[in-house]
Amino acid sequence: MRILVVDDDPLAGEMTGALLEFQGHDVLLANDAMEATHELDSHDDIALIVSDMYMPLINGIELLHMLREQGVMLPFILLTGDTPDDALRQTPGLSACLQKDAALDTSLERAVAQALGA
Amino acid sequence: MSSSASSLHDKLNQLRQRFIDQLPARLQLTVGLWQQSQASAEAQARLGPELHRFFHSLKGTGRSLGFERIALLAEQGEAALDGQAPAGQVVEQVFVHLAEEQQRLQSLPEQQRALAAMTSVEFSPKPVQTRSKRQRLIYLCDDEPDQVSQLLHHLRCFGHEVVHFEDTDTFFNAVITRRPDAIIMDVQFPQGNTAGTETLASLNKLTGEPLPSIVLSAHGDFHSRLSAVRAGCNGYFTKPVKPLDLMLAVDELTTPSDEEPLRILIVDDEPEVAAYHALLLEQAGMAVQQVNHPADALTALERFSPDLLLVDVYMPVCSGEELANIIRQQPEHVGLPIIYLSSETDSQKQLSAMTAGVEAFITKPVIPDELVSAVTLRAERLRLLRSLMTRDSMTGLYNHSTTTELISKALAQAHRDNTEHAMAMIDIDHFKAVNDTHGHLAGDQVIITLARLLKTRLRMSDIIGRYGGEEFVVLLKGVSDERACELIDALRHDFAQVDFHAGGTRFRCTFSAGISRFPNHPSTESLRLSADQALYRAKHQGRNQVVTSTEQDDDGLPTDCP
Repeated sequence: MRILVVDDDPLAGEMTGALLEFQGHDVLLANDAMEATHELDSHDDIALIVSDMYMPLINGIELLHMLREQGVMLPFILLTGDTPDDALRQTPGLSACLQKDAALDTSLERAVAQALGA
Repeated sequence: MSSSASSLHDKLNQLRQRFIDQLPARLQLTVGLWQQSQASAEAQARLGPELHRFFHSLKGTGRSLGFERIALLAEQGEAALDGQAPAGQVVEQVFVHLAEEQQRLQSLPEQQRALAAMTSVEFSPKPVQTRSKRQRLIYLCDDEPDQVSQLLHHLRCFGHEVVHFEDTDTFFNAVITRRPDAIIMDVQFPQGNTAGTETLASLNKLTGEPLPSIVLSAHGDFHSRLSAVRAGCNGYFTKPVKPLDLMLAVDELTTPSDEEPLRILIVDDEPEVAAYHALLLEQAGMAVQQVNHPADALTALERFSPDLLLVDVYMPVCSGEELANIIRQQPEHVGLPIIYLSSETDSQKQLSAMTAGVEAFITKPVIPDELVSAVTLRAERLRLLRSLMTRDSMTGLYNHSTTTELISKALAQAHRDNTEHAMAMIDIDHFKAVNDTHGHLAGDQVIITLARLLKTRLRMSDIIGRYGGEEFVVLLKGVSDERACELIDALRHDFAQVDFHAGGTRFRCTFSAGISRFPNHPSTESLRLSADQALYRAKHQGRNQVVTSTEQDDDGLPTDCP
């Protein structure tokens, strides 16, 4: 499956990408919301979006809203460095909200499988 | 590692390297921003979010890549910016520490970095967990190799997973990424006379949860011992240390106090109330079963074997009082603690209930803490009493009669489930000679060690009992006699390698064992007899071996364990 990873920190984005590639997916990287929309426009086989929360200008949740308004209904997984609070977790339209911690490889794998399989 | 795993591994190492390389520039940029932000309130408001983002992303990426120290520092910086108090000093401190940490990482020799990378970022498929729950992960940090191999050997004999570190840095990183159950630490290292204990102290402060630790040192001087005490260490041994002593100390430190949750049976005709009380107790870590009809209580008692009964006073069919009396009719339940739940208006009835042997009254609606503590107190008391009656005080294993009882129960269950079990009878070789030559204290040490070995290496579901002076019986559940033979033979091999000490002499011991199989031998008695015969053969064939009985044992020849 082709997955779009959005993160303003290129290293973090590459790391998430590396995890997803190891799990057998094809990965596209975007540094911000603008690039993300550009990638979505250029590739019609993107199946899932994994985005960092804290980004300058347009954060993860704002990106989600923007995409939904544009009619993009792809599953969306949010990554954050903090322990995600309930309000964030229950944002409508989110497939999953994961913490960037040492167990990210397993939690991400599970969340991706769930989001794609649902 | 599979090729894709190794390429992921390489990729992650590359990312780690880039992280370290980029850090100085990022730090410099951010410190610049920080200084600008301090110039005016407007600048602070404007640059605040970016500074926050710097710490936040450093924390996240640092943690994911295994740079825990950096992540923790970044977390401090983030918290300082979030807090109400002026953050200035804290943030500046964080920058300083980050710079130091970055320099340290930069200067680590290449292979150590690779090692740190391997231990902290493990994406290869997780190895099958073969450790039993009692086997511990132990970190040994010592740069003097002479005694280390002996220690490693003995610790591994007991089935513990031991990792050896020769310097405090890799040790530090490893503790943070994969927390051990216990630590054995040398005090002195090339970088300082108390470097070992200092590392421990800083680890405990950092993680907040002190780790069980034992100090091993060539020096028993006051200064070293003081630093160990200050680091919160649980034991101090001077070299040369007797591996067994260290082993037993580690065992004491890491044995979980009581693994089995308390079992409570609730009898209440109102299902919602019963469920509510069950929830309260389960949240406190207990195992609870609910019964809504008093008639079901007796079967539940039989099957569930609770440590305590929680009974509602007002029920249809029979009152709580009457139920208590029915239960007390059976001699084995005379000691079972029963707590009554009643609503306030029943206070007059309390006295008559007391004569039926009820332990306590709790009025409904319950105060959750009171319920939990009343139940815990009494259930634990019963457990203690029971264990005094059922266990051998020296080894903590079940005594003869309890072992037989438990095995019979297990076999009864196995008849219903159609499962196979194996029994092993283990007898220490030449035990009388050990007592005569080395003294009874030495003999006791041998018995305790074998008991500990059995407890550690076998599963919690297996029944382990001390049958007689030097005889042990084990029921291995759900295994074939061949598998049991392998397991016991491995134990035999490892037990034979343990060094015992008495006075100035060192000696070793062995055991012989006989194995029998259920359902070939369908009763406890026949199973035991058969294992006993196999044990007899083992002794007569030269000892220090394991023999399995076969069905033809009565007339044919038994098979030996290869």
